[in-house]
Amino acid sequence: MEQIDAPVVSNVHLTGEYWLLEVEAPSVAAALEPGQFVNIRIRDSLAPFLRRPFSVYRVNPEKTRLQVAYKILGNGTRLMKETLQPGTACDLIGPLGKGFELPEDAKTIALVGRGIGIAALPMLADLAAARGVTSHAFLSARSRDNLVGAEIFASHGGQVFTHADDTPDDVALVTDHLLRMAESTAFDALYVCGSNRLIRQVDQLARARGIPAQSAMEQHMACGFGDCHGCIIEVNLDRDGDTRGYREVCHHGPVFDTWEVANA
Amino acid sequence: MPDLSITIAGIEMKNPLTVGSGTYGHHGRFSQFFPVETMGALVPKTIRPHQWPGNPPQRVLEVPAGLHSSVGIPSIPWEQFETEDAPRLKALNLPVIQSVIGRTEDEYAEVVRRCTELDAFAGLELNLSCPNLKQGGLDFGYDPEAAFRLVSRARQQTDLPLIAKLAPDYSSLVPVAQAIEAAGADAVALVNAPRAMCIDADTLKPMIGNGVGALSGPAIKPMAVYMVWTLYRAISLPIFGMGGVATYRDVIEFMAAGAAAVAFGTVSYVDPMALPRALRELEAWMVQNGIDDVTQLVGAAHDADFERPQSRRVA
Repeated sequence: MEQIDAPVVSNVHLTGEYWLLEVEAPSVAAALEPGQFVNIRIRDSLAPFLRRPFSVYRVNPEKTRLQVAYKILGNGTRLMKETLQPGTACDLIGPLGKGFELPEDAKTIALVGRGIGIAALPMLADLAAARGVTSHAFLSARSRDNLVGAEIFASHGGQVFTHADDTPDDVALVTDHLLRMAESTAFDALYVCGSNRLIRQVDQLARARGIPAQSAMEQHMACGFGDCHGCIIEVNLDRDGDTRGYREVCHHGPVFDTWEVANA
Repeated sequence: MPDLSITIAGIEMKNPLTVGSGTYGHHGRFSQFFPVETMGALVPKTIRPHQWPGNPPQRVLEVPAGLHSSVGIPSIPWEQFETEDAPRLKALNLPVIQSVIGRTEDEYAEVVRRCTELDAFAGLELNLSCPNLKQGGLDFGYDPEAAFRLVSRARQQTDLPLIAKLAPDYSSLVPVAQAIEAAGADAVALVNAPRAMCIDADTLKPMIGNGVGALSGPAIKPMAVYMVWTLYRAISLPIFGMGGVATYRDVIEFMAAGAAAVAFGTVSYVDPMALPRALRELEAWMVQNGIDDVTQLVGAAHDADFERPQSRRVA
């Protein structure tokens, strides 16, 4: 983990409500694992005052650049879009947190994402492909143009199922597709991000099959590197959920086993 | 090279910069960004004599120029603090001022006694002002009589320098500071974060899990400077100044108001190199302005003929 000034390569519209920032960050990109995040500061700003944490969307094959997909939600992301242009540098801390674990012997995995949560998954699809693991993607969003990165998942040769809330033809939910495929496919691990309903259903499937399942979680953060103790979520301390405790998303996570996630 | 060293309550600091309790490092592990020995003294997160998970989520919320938070001092079991944290802290090559809190007078006395026995600390900070606890902290920090009793009890338990951390409460600030001075405290630290609240205009409910929280960051700096200035005139004790400090110019401002040492807090969450940068820039500023001793800055905003009050210590 380190703090760097990362030169901006590009900052362009991605799809729907999403933008894509790409920066030159060889030391961070080389160390990054799928599911880890970076924390970006809007330079010299008192409002917004805090950094903005983002999961890393992708790293280039040379591992010299990293990409962050973001949605314009407020002042911080609006300023990101306006001020982080080529020629400027981005104050960035990373890599942060604990990433996804891809079992050594995995052959087939499922990636399940909704909305901006999908942006935590392409890097895992890239890693899976590099290791010869087949990944199938199950992506949902409020509208069709917000199905971020569908083409990335498709490029690795796995199947891609989508559901957009605004598309009447999309009768089946992504979890319907997942359960149907699971009838004939032996998944070795499941990965999910972006919705409690998806986490719940993925966890049920993982428990029934006795396979690992992980979820990347979000919480409001102040620092992102373990000092402020602010970004807790409630977790199950045992698989039955009999005992619970708090865990800090920034360093215990952001990736948790789905059975750990309480109140999903 | 200007002299940046300062001795405060008998604690020798090689420079006047320190950190607000709970804003830097955790469980005896420090500095992912700069060597902890860069600062003049370290104040680790408040420890209490019993384990406590802290407050429920959501704990932090950004506000303009600051942070609204209610973390609630999550604490590891004492045994873990004693066997894991304390040896790490003792091994550091700088003075460590351990912050402590309790729910009752007895618990404060107990944690002061235990910390003294660890023989690891240069001083103890009594947190009399945590805004986020249902018991302890502020219950004592607003009430001069309760603060007097509590500091007197702590005084009986230790020969270490005792620093009382005070709440930014306009009406009780001076009487509480005078009471803890009388009870034998060696220094004061202020301000702790004031109590604050944010309400969601859609749900009409408080926006953080505990309902009530703290406000910290640059948003509170002018209030904090005023309170340091006020206590410099009201008591004889040296002052650790803090509240929204972010730059070397903030350090100068707090010192001119009367602080002998200055703590970086919330800013480190955003700009983790703020303290070492400020130290460098403070030194450069002193060279530029021909100031060879940093103690010359303490109280410089007050009239040249102003003299601080005599000690009220009775114990």
